[in-house]
Amino acid sequence: MSKAIVYINQFFGGYGGEDVADHEPEIKDELVGPANLYNQLLDGEVSHTIICGDNFVGSNEDEAVERILGFLEDKDFDIFFAGPAFQAGRYGNACGVIGKAVKEEFDVPVISSMNIENPGVEMFKKDIYIFPGGHSAAKMREDVNNMVEFGNKLLNGEEPGSADEEGYYKRGIRHQVFRDDEKPAADRGVEMLLKKLNGEEFESELPIPEMDRVEIADAIEDLSEAKVALVTSGGIVPVDNPDKIQSASATRWGRYDISGMDKLENRDNDAFKTIHAGYDPAAADSDPNRVVPVDAMRYFEKEGKIGELHNYFYSTVGTGTTQGEASRMGKEIVQKLKEDNVQAVILTST
Amino acid sequence: MKLELGNFPVNDIEFGEETAFNDGLLTINKKEALEVVYEDEHITEADLKIVKPGDNVRLVPVKEAIEPRYRVDGGAVFPGVTGKLKQAGNGKTYALKDCSVLVVGKHWGGFQDGLIDMSGEGAKYTYFSKLKNIVLVADTDEDFEKDEQQKKNHALRWAGMRLSEYIGSCLEDLEPEETEKFELDPITKRDENLKDLPNVVLVMQPQSQMEELGYNDLNYGWDTNRMLPTFMHPNEVLDGAMISGSFMPCSSKWSTYDFQNFPTLKRLYEEHGENINFLGVIMSNLNVALEQKNRSAQFVAQIASNLGADGAIVTEEGYGNPDADYIGCIKALEDAGVKTVGISNEATGRDGGSQPLVSLDPKADALVSTGNVSELIKLPPMETVIGELEALARDGLSGGWADDEELGSSVKEDGSIIMENNAMFCGDQIAGWSTKTMKEF
Repeated sequence: MSKAIVYINQFFGGYGGEDVADHEPEIKDELVGPANLYNQLLDGEVSHTIICGDNFVGSNEDEAVERILGFLEDKDFDIFFAGPAFQAGRYGNACGVIGKAVKEEFDVPVISSMNIENPGVEMFKKDIYIFPGGHSAAKMREDVNNMVEFGNKLLNGEEPGSADEEGYYKRGIRHQVFRDDEKPAADRGVEMLLKKLNGEEFESELPIPEMDRVEIADAIEDLSEAKVALVTSGGIVPVDNPDKIQSASATRWGRYDISGMDKLENRDNDAFKTIHAGYDPAAADSDPNRVVPVDAMRYFEKEGKIGELHNYFYSTVGTGTTQGEASRMGKEIVQKLKEDNVQAVILTST
Repeated sequence: MKLELGNFPVNDIEFGEETAFNDGLLTINKKEALEVVYEDEHITEADLKIVKPGDNVRLVPVKEAIEPRYRVDGGAVFPGVTGKLKQAGNGKTYALKDCSVLVVGKHWGGFQDGLIDMSGEGAKYTYFSKLKNIVLVADTDEDFEKDEQQKKNHALRWAGMRLSEYIGSCLEDLEPEETEKFELDPITKRDENLKDLPNVVLVMQPQSQMEELGYNDLNYGWDTNRMLPTFMHPNEVLDGAMISGSFMPCSSKWSTYDFQNFPTLKRLYEEHGENINFLGVIMSNLNVALEQKNRSAQFVAQIASNLGADGAIVTEEGYGNPDADYIGCIKALEDAGVKTVGISNEATGRDGGSQPLVSLDPKADALVSTGNVSELIKLPPMETVIGELEALARDGLSGGWADDEELGSSVKEDGSIIMENNAMFCGDQIAGWSTKTMKEF
């Protein structure tokens, strides 16, 4: 009989909400919460339930992954379910982080479900199967049903159909298939052209991803009056990385006070370093000003070329970061900059 | 211009006393046919085989496919290539249907060569497994390119064309079973009833990326690398003006057979007078340098605009670098107000996760996809191999490899193979046969 393991968070594990979101990972050889529903619907049985607090995964990702993979080492399972996470962002992140790690380590199908608004969709749809889900637990039965229906298909040895056929979020993975109707490309092309010419709807077989272009802002009239801020995706942070910004695929950003500093002191002086995993850190650790040029900006400030350098610089990590996350972080940072009446930004990348 | 293509459907092929066509049976005098092959002193060794759908046969390295034909009014089937230059597309040509002449290297393959399985799982990947084929398997003394990954394959390809003309000539005194008529009046002299229909051009981008002569598709014998986009009558394409070259991973190629039967072009002909006014073909090319790409796109858009085209289909013989020509041309046409559809394949990688085309543009909003060049294909051994199986692994075929850390060699000891779709002979059938598409997983 096929065996499944289900991952849920502290809330669905019966421990409570926000106040116990640091709940440490545990594995139980019994059905907890939604695991009962999975067990009912599955062509097989759920052997274990893993429970972990969303904040525990968020703050201790490496440890959470290591401990949960450790739980699974001696377990025999054919499929792994995580969630459903509905619209809960941190739960979505946890399902993605753990699901992805399980997929990589054990190469079994991993299936989750999240609402389209859940940032976990954009972050992990390439790594695991994620089905569209409801906003809240009111949709529990429906969401689990969709996940298990697909899971049963895989457990019964059927090949997974395309995203359109099965309903999971498109993962940006494109493969060739032979069309059931055997309609040749010549007919498809000419018919598509006739529709296009007649103003009828047509469906491209290769949709071009939408480009999210931002219009260039108006020029600053008088730079000598402007307050200028430094923002970077180069991962410069205080050496203890107080905001726990991830070294790759970042979802967090930080802002750091530089008032009174002529330049950023380096790692050896216990001041600033880079946590960016996408480039050789030696130069940035030795002189963080080469990524966040506080020294040069102070020079321009004294020279009167700019009005003033903003008292905070903003930092995140650009490598592997999804467009969706980057866009969200950008909007959050802009809001702060506007509150502080910053007129211009120098954005440094690496 | 009016072309009458007289068709002779071939039910069976066998070797016999005389090269003749009789009631669906094509008989070939092997000795006489091989004499035609040996007319070129560079052919050192040659044999003919007959393969049919369902045969337990694998062919590799396949270099070319040609439909055997006979030009009734006299002259070469491929003007400017196998004989004197003359106007193609006007008059009568006879064709042996449901069959092709396949050219296979006896030993040596190259980047541009492909594989055909006549039965089993592999058969679905090529159009030529559906045809009865006369196979020329031969070797040459072209030692200068024996160890080169890029081969001109001149002696073999030309031998294939001579052979196809020799076989086609048996139709000389016969009456075709059916005749297809292809006729378009000059654009300014067309019937009133066509004036209300949308005007459509077919833009063809044949492979022309080699700067050195001898590898690219030829237009009446002229290297397409050395031409600017030009207006052609569709009949010229169907009637031997274009021949295939010897460059580009094989699944993306158009064989000469593909040019002679170009399905997208024929489908536009079917719509002519019904839903469209088919203006003709803009024969473009594919280039390496950006300015060359832009120049060709500019020419195509200019010709289309001045012909008054409302719509266009652009089709590309290749992938990778020439995707920039493909998308650039579509964009130039859209910018000129010509509603455009593209037909080509994609390269999304073995895992399907790579960007499908090298260049993308939101204006290319109507694309037909005919396959993924890098799809991995595993196939069991076949009883008979025509050519040399080891060529797939040894000779740099675009979809084969000698060694891979995970997959080993493309060719296994038991004769089974693992390859990328890249090496399927004209496998993505971009000319329009393809029943493949791409889906998101």
